[in-house]
Amino acid sequence: MLNKWRLCLFWGAAFWSLSASAQELAEGVQAHGFLSQSVVRTSDNNVGGNSDDELASDLRELGVNLSWRPNPDWLISGQALARWAGETDEGSLRLDYGFVDRTLYNSGEAQIGVRLGKIKNPYGFFNTTRDVAQTRPGVIMPQSIYLDQVRNFFLAAPGISLYGNADSDQGALSWQVSAMRPEVDDVDLEYMTFLRDLPGKFAGRNSWLGQVMLDRDGGRWRMGVSLGEMNMRYQPGRSPPLDLLGGTHRLPTWVLSVQHNSEDWTYTAEYAQTQVIARDYGSAFEDNTIESGYLQATRRFADSWQGYLRYDVLYLDRDDRNGMQFASPLPGAPPAHSRFAKDWVVGVRRDLDRLALSAEIHHVDGTAWLARVDNPVAGLVRKWDMLLLQAAWRF
Amino acid sequence: MRNLRFCSNGSALCGITLLLSLILPPGVAGAVDVIANKSVAVDSLSLASARAIFGMRQVKWPDGTPIRVFVLPDDHVLHGAVCKERLNIFPYQLRQSWDRLVYSGMAQAPSEAMSEEELLNKVAATPGAIGYVRKVKANDPVKILNVE
Repeated sequence: MLNKWRLCLFWGAAFWSLSASAQELAEGVQAHGFLSQSVVRTSDNNVGGNSDDELASDLRELGVNLSWRPNPDWLISGQALARWAGETDEGSLRLDYGFVDRTLYNSGEAQIGVRLGKIKNPYGFFNTTRDVAQTRPGVIMPQSIYLDQVRNFFLAAPGISLYGNADSDQGALSWQVSAMRPEVDDVDLEYMTFLRDLPGKFAGRNSWLGQVMLDRDGGRWRMGVSLGEMNMRYQPGRSPPLDLLGGTHRLPTWVLSVQHNSEDWTYTAEYAQTQVIARDYGSAFEDNTIESGYLQATRRFADSWQGYLRYDVLYLDRDDRNGMQFASPLPGAPPAHSRFAKDWVVGVRRDLDRLALSAEIHHVDGTAWLARVDNPVAGLVRKWDMLLLQAAWRF
Repeated sequence: MRNLRFCSNGSALCGITLLLSLILPPGVAGAVDVIANKSVAVDSLSLASARAIFGMRQVKWPDGTPIRVFVLPDDHVLHGAVCKERLNIFPYQLRQSWDRLVYSGMAQAPSEAMSEEELLNKVAATPGAIGYVRKVKANDPVKILNVE
């Protein structure tokens, strides 16, 4: 019942916001938004609710943004977001981003500016708009690089950002460097880091991320590098042995992104490495490196149809790709296959003006990117399949 | 052959576009003109500048006037034509680039007109406006911008 009530509330809010969907509200003021609803069914394991041999519909996104450009050198923007994803995200309304943008230099073909506030983090091709279904390369993000379990850590953060664009006849170069303090107070991150929910919590420490993106020949080739270091500190809630001692995590990370676009085809490849360096805590955590990447081919057909094929790989420890060193014979210990995931995806999408309808099938070997909150260790199955259907609207 | 893809709407305009592109050498055909409000103080744009303007990255003219970009819907034949003939970019890429900017708050979207006539009227009436039409007629109250 509660779920049905929530669903009604969600769609009610959605249609209310759409009825006021005039993009231009006043001189220099624009409103935009998006919403999506997915249903998912899995052969085993849970995604977006209880999807194991059932139809789960706890996958929804709703966002509305406002922007105001009082003059060409200033831009003020903010976006509110509600997201539902099984037990990991239950629709609480939050500020997705909110910042002031000041252009410092503008020569026509080149701009330099600064942004101050809560800013989306540039990471790979898709991170800044990962909650907008139409901008994703499929129904869900490639989980290797855009792991939903650490999304809040990487998504957006209060800070300052310096950016620039330069257009020439050969291509466009854009760059951004951000200094921020990430928001890390969610339980997913504790499961990712400690394999369980501990009494204490993480707090963000000074971090930085930068990105350079080159669009050659009107975007026929797009190439980018993102790199940075995300940092956080664990503050225990209890004394040992009920909790760990305090400690810090440093995550130096980089992503290489390449895309080729032609009239009918888009080929995308991204590869990332993220080191996980834990210090203090009173117990030994071994440093390790997360390795991830995917390849995708997308074909556009007539009448706004497209089809895509993706191979997506995640290894939580590149020196222990099959998880055998990690696995322990103790009862209740996470299995070796919780350290990797190899995911074949085939999907179709049709765009009808502002509406996009998609369907996607996954064949996965490994359970590394499943939400632990939705998937107790005892129930994990190594090889599983998933069907996702999605309707998404934007204005 | 590329123009054939524009013809999904099946309009007579497509036939004319196709015919023109067969008769006239590429680059001279010019099935679409980039236009601006008469108050705009420039007469030509580099390809880089035109891409930066329609890509919503460049938001003011050299004299400081705000640029107002008007476009037709993504699937409109003329939108396809201006992307390919004037900007040398695929329409789907322009849409992806707008969406990236608009939903991360980094820029505003262009204003959409539902028809060529509406677009022409808006460009004529809005100081600093830029847009495109099939062919500017002698008495149209807008100026043509050459994209070089």
